[in-house]
Amino acid sequence: MDIRTVHREGGTVLSVNGRIDTTAAPELDHAILQEIDQGNRKILLDFSGVPYISSGGLRVILATAKKLKNPGDKFGLCSLSPEVFKIMKLAGFTSIFSIYPDEGEALARW
Amino acid sequence: MPAGDGPLVSLTWQPVPGAPGALIYPLIRKIDVISSNSYVITTPEVILIVDPGGVPEQGEQLSRLIEACREEFDRPVFAFLTHSHVDHFIGIQSNAAFSVQKAVVFAVHHAGALALECGDRTVTQADILQQPLSPMKVGLRLFAPEREDHAGLPASLCFPNGAEITIVQDPAKADSPRLPHEQIRFGNGPALDLYHTPGHSPDSICLRIGNLLFVGDLLFAANPGVAGLTGWSQESLVRSLSGAERLVAERGVTQVCPGHGNVISAGDAARMFSRVRADAQSLSHIAELNRDRAVATAEYATDCMEQVNELFTIMAGRLAYVTYILDELGEAGMAEETAALISSDAIDELLEAFRDFAGEYQKISPSPVPLMLKAAQVMGKLERTFQRNELAGIIDPTLVRRAARLLADYITMLRGFTLPGERQVLDLVPVIEAIVTGLSLPLLSDEEILSGPDDEGAFSRILLSRIGSRPLLDEVECEVVTKDTPLLAWIDRDHFTDLLTYILEDLVGTGAGRIGIRIRKGEEGATITITGILAVTGARKPLTWRFLRGLAERAGGSLVVRQQDGLQSFEFTARAA
Repeated sequence: MDIRTVHREGGTVLSVNGRIDTTAAPELDHAILQEIDQGNRKILLDFSGVPYISSGGLRVILATAKKLKNPGDKFGLCSLSPEVFKIMKLAGFTSIFSIYPDEGEALARW
Repeated sequence: MPAGDGPLVSLTWQPVPGAPGALIYPLIRKIDVISSNSYVITTPEVILIVDPGGVPEQGEQLSRLIEACREEFDRPVFAFLTHSHVDHFIGIQSNAAFSVQKAVVFAVHHAGALALECGDRTVTQADILQQPLSPMKVGLRLFAPEREDHAGLPASLCFPNGAEITIVQDPAKADSPRLPHEQIRFGNGPALDLYHTPGHSPDSICLRIGNLLFVGDLLFAANPGVAGLTGWSQESLVRSLSGAERLVAERGVTQVCPGHGNVISAGDAARMFSRVRADAQSLSHIAELNRDRAVATAEYATDCMEQVNELFTIMAGRLAYVTYILDELGEAGMAEETAALISSDAIDELLEAFRDFAGEYQKISPSPVPLMLKAAQVMGKLERTFQRNELAGIIDPTLVRRAARLLADYITMLRGFTLPGERQVLDLVPVIEAIVTGLSLPLLSDEEILSGPDDEGAFSRILLSRIGSRPLLDEVECEVVTKDTPLLAWIDRDHFTDLLTYILEDLVGTGAGRIGIRIRKGEEGATITITGILAVTGARKPLTWRFLRGLAERAGGSLVVRQQDGLQSFEFTARAA
């Protein structure tokens, strides 16, 4: 898995490419934490390159949602594959944070 | 050199307990289906190999050992097979040291000898394990029928490798609980006792020298993925296990050397024989495990694992969600207890282990056997990691029930039993309406919550269930349409319920806000078409469709899956009554 981080006007976009498995989940956690530590509290995860997410990956996402709940904070996901969307939806995560069709729409709404 | 009365040590020469002058060098492997353990035994008169194994590296290791022994002083070499399955001998087929017929005499039960000499791919399991096999010459046929006429009388046999042996067969006694027995003497050295122990295969034997008993695959013969192999016999196996247990008790056996895995003490072996016999007795009427069934089982394993992966990730995710909400509510203790119900790290590791194994193994072996056994191992561990009853009280019981059924169905299929199911004539409309209603209502109604007991424990359970279980069709408009009532069809209710649940879950999971279920009677039978407009589109996993088609068959019908322009449809057709 690799992560490309881009700072846009509306927020920080982390584009993830690869499976988020037990090895990759801590890497994702670390990358997100790094951004939050630098004061970037509008985080969008672009999952267009993610074909699979493990329960470890789901926990990272929930932990991020927990960290980014202050007024002015934003956290969301975009461009999910059908498989990953299904997991998020059926696990109940879609009621905690927003899922957008793509990066443009997410940042436009922020 | 170890003293000889302690447990045998792999890759070391040590005395054979109870056989003065004999030494043994065990090659104990990590358990797999590719190759057995090997054991080399030397006496001043002979070098014996028990099961040369199934991989060339092992054959080379053996040939180096034998060469060293013969350099010390030359002796004839005999290779005994506990049975003629390829994982016990194929590793030496291309080894020059073994291919010179005069150098090594192969000794095999006469039924196995017949299979080896004609290169029988079924009896030897070369077919199911996808191994090349050439016909092999067997120099010494054990339990040969021609010796039965002279039972009790020692016969002297000479071999091209210079060996002279004396062999004597016990007279057959009708209804005797004792195992058929032959004894071989190589000069003045310790005797080698052979016992016919069919069950795993018709030609299975155990060998005893001193206080060591070599049992081949007798201890694994009732295992899923092993029981039912071509040549397997439940009746013979039960009898052989009883005989082997008696042998251990009566013949001073101190250690039992299996075909796979570590050497075990006589006490542990006796308990294992007893347990395996009980397992074997439960295996009446299992299907033969041949190549076709192995391929079908491995395919089902792959499909099941795909669903298991999804269901367990959803369950773990749902539990993480519950924990998150409880934390938000300041219920840290309850959150911790809830999180402990699923060990999600262990689950992730198991699922990834299977994925890695499937990917790696398929590159090097076309055999379906390792994959189907690995799936059984992973599913067995998964079953032990999740607490289904506790989970079913918190998250949707349909998730837990389907996960449990997947694991159980796979093990049932692997063991060779027919999957449980009962087709009956049912009116489809009320059946479908009941399923849809069940998926639309919360686990506990508002009334049940309000009228529940006041104690803290009951409140916790209600709170957890309220957070964790969200009706699948809660935010979805689901309409059941039919003109044909009643519409009677032959279906299996449980599998049909699972099928419809998987389909509805798939549609909801890909963002369909509105689902239509149309039921009609057509020329081909009763047809149910489930359609939804997907919010998230993209290429889907073909394995899911294959799994659903298999489930539709078990439900009593067939399934056609279509996806076009964001519209997903599933058409299930069953025989109308």
